[in-house]
Amino acid sequence: MSTEVMMVDDDPAICFTVEAVLSQAGISVRSVQSGQDCLSALREGFRGVILMDVMMPRLDGWQTIERIVDEGLLDGNVVCMLTAVVSPGGEMESLKEYVVDYIRKPFEIAELIDTVQQCRQFLAAA
Amino acid sequence: MPSVPGRRLIGNEGESMNITILGISTGGPKTLQHVFRGLPRLNTCLILVQHMPRFINQSVVHTLGAGTDMDVQLADTGTTLRHGTVYVAPSDFHTVLVGNARLRLVDGEKVNYVRPSIDVTMRSLTAAGGPSLLGIVMTGLGRDGAAGLSHMKSLGATALAQDEASSVIFGMPAAAIETGCVDSVLPPSGIRRMLIEHWGYSRQGACAAARAAT
Repeated sequence: MSTEVMMVDDDPAICFTVEAVLSQAGISVRSVQSGQDCLSALREGFRGVILMDVMMPRLDGWQTIERIVDEGLLDGNVVCMLTAVVSPGGEMESLKEYVVDYIRKPFEIAELIDTVQQCRQFLAAA
Repeated sequence: MPSVPGRRLIGNEGESMNITILGISTGGPKTLQHVFRGLPRLNTCLILVQHMPRFINQSVVHTLGAGTDMDVQLADTGTTLRHGTVYVAPSDFHTVLVGNARLRLVDGEKVNYVRPSIDVTMRSLTAAGGPSLLGIVMTGLGRDGAAGLSHMKSLGATALAQDEASSVIFGMPAAAIETGCVDSVLPPSGIRRMLIEHWGYSRQGACAAARAAT
């Protein structure tokens, strides 16, 4: 089964938790620890649900999304922000049409699964 | 149908035109399930403006349509508005109403950083034909929809905004509320209830409901 979700977060504990939760729900996940690794995975052909942290060193979540769009790598992917940032700043406004949902940390397990399932439905119907 | 001053536009079923415009952004797909799941066929045409990547336009149409008795379709140039139908504004264009009766997709600069812009759709409404109007602004970042909802209110619309507790991001509803034009601030379930109470069933929807009850 190909991987359905890519978790992008520099915190390995968050990646471990999300992998555990989604795997339990029968959803395959891979984790990368940086925006650069996310872009590499997309260039190599990953297509699916992307759960993107905002606060990452060097390339933050918004910058990563900008690069995804600029490189024409968005099609085939649904992006959700998974972040502790309470309210996104104005820098997101120009990118909001590329982000489908926004989950605040600490997240409820049910909310995470529901959101990912919704995104999988969109991909299946596309 | 061109509008004639002093003459009300007639929608399908021989009734005057009832127009709903709902704008939504971040958190939209998940939130809209609470509004549309099981929604009966209502006596209104609903233009849905959701900020989303083009790639999932058809998916959203399909997902929403599977859960409601309203017909759900992607808006297109020349589409004639019909009650009982949801028109989803496609990505990369602004969707405007022509004569409060038809839709047109417009290429143009982004407005409020987005295309389609909720403001552009709402502000394309006019007083021609005296339609009954309902405007709704739901979860999202930024201000898109605030000016548009205020414009709709000036045409006599009922104006709704989503409440903070249920909004994934409260920015857009908050901006709408700040204009002073909002009549009610509601969660998605309340917005759904208002849609049903405000418009009632379309004639086909009423027949379907009666059959289901027997």
